[in-house]
Amino acid sequence: MQRFLDPAVLAGISGLDLVAKTVVDGFVAGLHRSPDFGFSQEFAEYRAYSPGDDLRHVDWNVFARTERAYLKRYRGETNTLLTVLLDASSSMNYSSHKVSKMDYARYVAASLFYLTTQTQRDAAGLIVFDDEVRTYIRASTRQGQLYRLLSGLENAEARARTNYAKPLLHFQNFLRKRGMVVVISDFFESPETIVRTIEPLRYHGNEVVLFHVLDPQELKPELDEPVLLIDMETQESLEVTPEYGREEYRTKVQSHITQLKDRTRAAGMDYHLLVTSSPLDGALREYLTLRQRRR
Amino acid sequence: MGFLAPWFLASAAAVGLPIYLHLLRRHRTTPLPFSSLMFFERRTQSSIKHRRKKNISELKGRGVVLLLLALAFANPFIERSAASMSGEKLDLLVIDDSFSMRAGTHLADAKRDALAFLETRKPSERAQIMALGSQVHVLTEPTQDSGVLRSAVNSIQPGDTRASFGELAGTLRSMTETVHTPIELHLFSDMQRSAMPASFAEMALPANVSLVPHPQARGPEPNWTVESVSAPGEVFDPKKSRVQAVISGYHTPAAKKTVSLVVNGKAIATQTVDVPAEGRASVEFSSLDVPYGLTRCEVRIDSADSLPADDASLFAVKRSDPRKVLFVYESNDTRSPLYFRAALTSAAESAFNLETATVDRVANVQPAGHDFVVLSDVASLPASFENALTNYVKAGGSVFIAAGTSAARHPRIPIFGDTIADSRYYSREGARFLTVGEMDPSYPSVQKANRWTGVKFYFAVRVAGTDARVAARLTDQTPLLLEKKIGEGRALLFASGLDNFTNDFPLHPVFIPFIDQTARYLSGMETRAGSRIVDSFLELRTAKEQSVGVEVIDPDGKRPLSLREATAAQSFQLTRAGFYQLRLANGRQDLVGVNADRRESDLDEIPKDILALWTGNAGNAAQEASSGTVAQDQKKPYSLWWYAVLLLLLVAIAESLLSSQYLTMSREEP
Repeated sequence: MQRFLDPAVLAGISGLDLVAKTVVDGFVAGLHRSPDFGFSQEFAEYRAYSPGDDLRHVDWNVFARTERAYLKRYRGETNTLLTVLLDASSSMNYSSHKVSKMDYARYVAASLFYLTTQTQRDAAGLIVFDDEVRTYIRASTRQGQLYRLLSGLENAEARARTNYAKPLLHFQNFLRKRGMVVVISDFFESPETIVRTIEPLRYHGNEVVLFHVLDPQELKPELDEPVLLIDMETQESLEVTPEYGREEYRTKVQSHITQLKDRTRAAGMDYHLLVTSSPLDGALREYLTLRQRRR
Repeated sequence: MGFLAPWFLASAAAVGLPIYLHLLRRHRTTPLPFSSLMFFERRTQSSIKHRRKKNISELKGRGVVLLLLALAFANPFIERSAASMSGEKLDLLVIDDSFSMRAGTHLADAKRDALAFLETRKPSERAQIMALGSQVHVLTEPTQDSGVLRSAVNSIQPGDTRASFGELAGTLRSMTETVHTPIELHLFSDMQRSAMPASFAEMALPANVSLVPHPQARGPEPNWTVESVSAPGEVFDPKKSRVQAVISGYHTPAAKKTVSLVVNGKAIATQTVDVPAEGRASVEFSSLDVPYGLTRCEVRIDSADSLPADDASLFAVKRSDPRKVLFVYESNDTRSPLYFRAALTSAAESAFNLETATVDRVANVQPAGHDFVVLSDVASLPASFENALTNYVKAGGSVFIAAGTSAARHPRIPIFGDTIADSRYYSREGARFLTVGEMDPSYPSVQKANRWTGVKFYFAVRVAGTDARVAARLTDQTPLLLEKKIGEGRALLFASGLDNFTNDFPLHPVFIPFIDQTARYLSGMETRAGSRIVDSFLELRTAKEQSVGVEVIDPDGKRPLSLREATAAQSFQLTRAGFYQLRLANGRQDLVGVNADRRESDLDEIPKDILALWTGNAGNAAQEASSGTVAQDQKKPYSLWWYAVLLLLLVAIAESLLSSQYLTMSREEP
């Protein structure tokens, strides 16, 4: 099942729902071999019934034996609200192989939505943004939420430039409950700006995790000859020698990643680098780790 | 525009090489979309794009260098008229100071007009003053200084030379070989027709010269003149000397004119002559009674016309006693003295006084005191006379010996010394007579009449082994005329008689110039000319008279020759009308009357159509047609080679600087 987490394999599957199911099933199958992580339907404790509690959660077997009403509680019952902020700027369309960063971000988001809504029964929402908010799907556990979210992902097309301020402001306006916020982007912005923009989410008690999606070529560009690079967002052009791509650029990118990682963690947020050539389980594992921590 | 070496243009194809190197082999940079350029620094942008821009600049520079190189080798040229090669205009003021400008106030008017033109001239324009006569005199260099120009105009004085528009055009053609500026020629002249050269082509002006005529004459003016005077240069017998003069009128009505012969300022004879309308009349004065020595004479008319300077014709006369000639002949020979005297009298204007003596009476006659002695077919001479004659010749005297039948009876020719080898009677032979076969035309006796056609020689003596100079031979190579130097004198042998028995030479007209030239040669008398025309040259010395000082005093009483010229000059040009006093290298004093060229007296102007043709208004085509060479000179190829090379140098320097800058930047890049 592990091979179904390979993005190159997922690219051959049409339909995000199927992709998400494939990923999550593969991921869950893999988890059984791991003792470190629990699962949401796992029994946690009994609690005495108090008026107002939902009768659906009363353990009637215990009531039959003891004539006392107890509520059976599971670990996953601590409902989590997941909101995914998906960067749909033009730079996300970049790809050096079969899977673009946008595709990879969709897979990740879809997998998270599937895992959240179908397995965890958590509420999930989606904001697709570039320099404007393109799509906003309020977090909910309603029937058909998954398909709305997947439809939002399907319709998300990369265009325009990235602007973190507007969608986050929008998000703050609509966010009433605390939850988890996953920002999926390539974060081509200065770490200070990114953190400064996203940091307010953390103040509302949200768990914030940054999924930094990068193409392998963006990390280690391989240039055989001088090339004329065109910025996919600004359309500016710049000529680059292979020597620069081999040496200085890599240093700068690594420095950027390190700074972003340090600053996000310093701000109480989590950071995870996702390379589009690597399997998607890293993102799911990160998500579950965070959810575990929230409990 | 053309190319002197157009084949070199093919090398311009070499420009394809840098194009190939720069463009076709250039590294192609395909645009590659990339997510973000935020990790690429601005300074690295210079790597390819700017380099390509510089490469394009270099490509252009190198292409231009190659094109200019090919262009320079192809040697481009453009045909430019000489006039357009320089923008500066030169006002050339030529004022005619020839003899005809003395008429009326022509010269004063010309100078006034020239000064007026100088006043209206722009101060920035350059001008030059020249005077036109038989030659062109440059009075100033091209200058803007009005003071210099005005003083040059004012300094022009009336001359006596004859104007020549051909000389003017020739001077301008020479001038424009070095001066390429446009020249505006202002000609202040009476535009005399006689100043035109024989061929109009000689008047053609260069292309960069534009003629602006300023005619001074106001229509044809009547003028009488003494056209020519025929007078002897030397007078031996005043009663036998005659003076003939021709009086001419130009644009004149028929009129009576009084002609005077003036000697030393005094009219000695006056005649009245009817001169027809625009015609000429001759007048003759039968005697010329002048004192001994050199006398200033002139023939003058009372014309009262606008050009009084040509109303007199000057000539100088020298009064001398006749030269004495001793003629010795056999008593039975009556014909030879008759023929000789007749010839000498008619030819030499009574210059010689012939004394005759027969052989038997000559014993007591002294040859000294005679200019030369004639021995006409004498068989023998008295010993005393022969000795005296020999000494006379050796002392520098001359003798003319005619060897006829009498002389042939003796084996030796007296005085001459050569033996007689043979005497030929051609009339007794089949040929009957002989004629002259060869003649030395440089010999003075036959210099002016060296064609003795039809002269028959029936008898001649042949001298043997002679070392004498032979001036003429008969057709059988028998020497006919021989000269031998004896001591300081000379002896001339005529190998036949002076009668009409041994030949018919005395009956032919050519006998007279022969006797005349022989007498003048032997007596040392030269033909003297009493008058000359302005611009002619006077011979001051012969080849034997080098380093001997001469003296010339012009009509103003000045000595025009410097000391150096006085000792070295071979000739002297007579530039003024009047009497010139001379002391020649042979010590002889002389006086020459100099008159202006009488063609100057005809004040008729150039027809307007010809003048229009000359000024170029009638079109340069006619001018070019009349002078093909001048037309070719008007267009000159102006090579652009230097400009191409200069531009090539500049572009090469710029390209080198650009390249070095590019290399410097490349080194600085990380």
